[in-house]
Amino acid sequence: MAVLKRVQQWATFARIWHIYDAAWQNPFESAGVLKKYLTGLYKPIYHPMNDCGDHIVVINSAEIALPGDEWKKRVYFHHTGYPGGATWTLAWELHEKDPTMILKKAVYSSLDKNLQRRYTMQRLHIFPDANVPSDMLKSISNQIKQLRLVPKRLDTYSEEEIKSFPKIYDYPKPYILK
Amino acid sequence: MVFTTVTNFIRSRGPDEIWRKRRIFKLAAHFQGRKRNCYSIAIKYVHRALVYATKGRQLKKQDMINLWETRINAGCQQHGINYYTFREALSRCGILLNRKVLADLACWEPQSFKALTDIAQERTQQDGLNVIKADNIKASGVLTRAMKK
Repeated sequence: MAVLKRVQQWATFARIWHIYDAAWQNPFESAGVLKKYLTGLYKPIYHPMNDCGDHIVVINSAEIALPGDEWKKRVYFHHTGYPGGATWTLAWELHEKDPTMILKKAVYSSLDKNLQRRYTMQRLHIFPDANVPSDMLKSISNQIKQLRLVPKRLDTYSEEEIKSFPKIYDYPKPYILK
Repeated sequence: MVFTTVTNFIRSRGPDEIWRKRRIFKLAAHFQGRKRNCYSIAIKYVHRALVYATKGRQLKKQDMINLWETRINAGCQQHGINYYTFREALSRCGILLNRKVLADLACWEPQSFKALTDIAQERTQQDGLNVIKADNIKASGVLTRAMKK
């Protein structure tokens, strides 16, 4: 390698666009991963004062999966500032109103609490489905690996796959299947 | 605190009130409002500032360590190795580089840093630390001292 090119790093300071498929992912675990890319923590040039964060396009945020009974038990608090202005919204209610909000709030609260936080959030683009504007899709150059395997639903299997699935035993002839 | 002459410095320790206060006011010169003009208020804030300065000397070192670790971690992740595994493997190989040098290599000399991670991965495999996934290992032609024995 040439002496001058030894330390050459193309596009070190360029903003990279990542894509992340949130289908069947835990938003609170994903927030930690997204934070790493949003703030540029994964780059060796990182410095808190260095503006080296990237853009992330998150798709399918409507299909996130909350662990346990979090849909019923997790509560989002809001206060208007007026007396009696407090509201408590359950996670499933919030998700019905805006399917991007749970992920957005999870990322927002996982970021460092400083003046840069709102500008960092502007680099996060969340979409409830896979319909992403084409100009955004053009600039994407990396996919962030999903944290969990997406399970395959039974109704998405084809007839052949179900028939060829190995059986432990055959049902007896008089057995009535629904 | 800068005294241009030795005479002024010696005067400031003496019984002369003006020179004693002058020493404090010099330290408070960059404060705002009465903190810099009234002696009885200035002295409180100067003492506080000196305490902060003392604590800050340790905090600065800790901050730098945190920054270096973040950068080395980032470099390690690019080559699929954990920070702690990396440091352990390097010390087993007798490569005694500190955090500052490793962070500088990760930032400015990515090729050299990759060579280090290759060595670390090879050593990790040889010692059976068994923490690196098989598909991350691409190192070949790396000689560590453990191989020679």
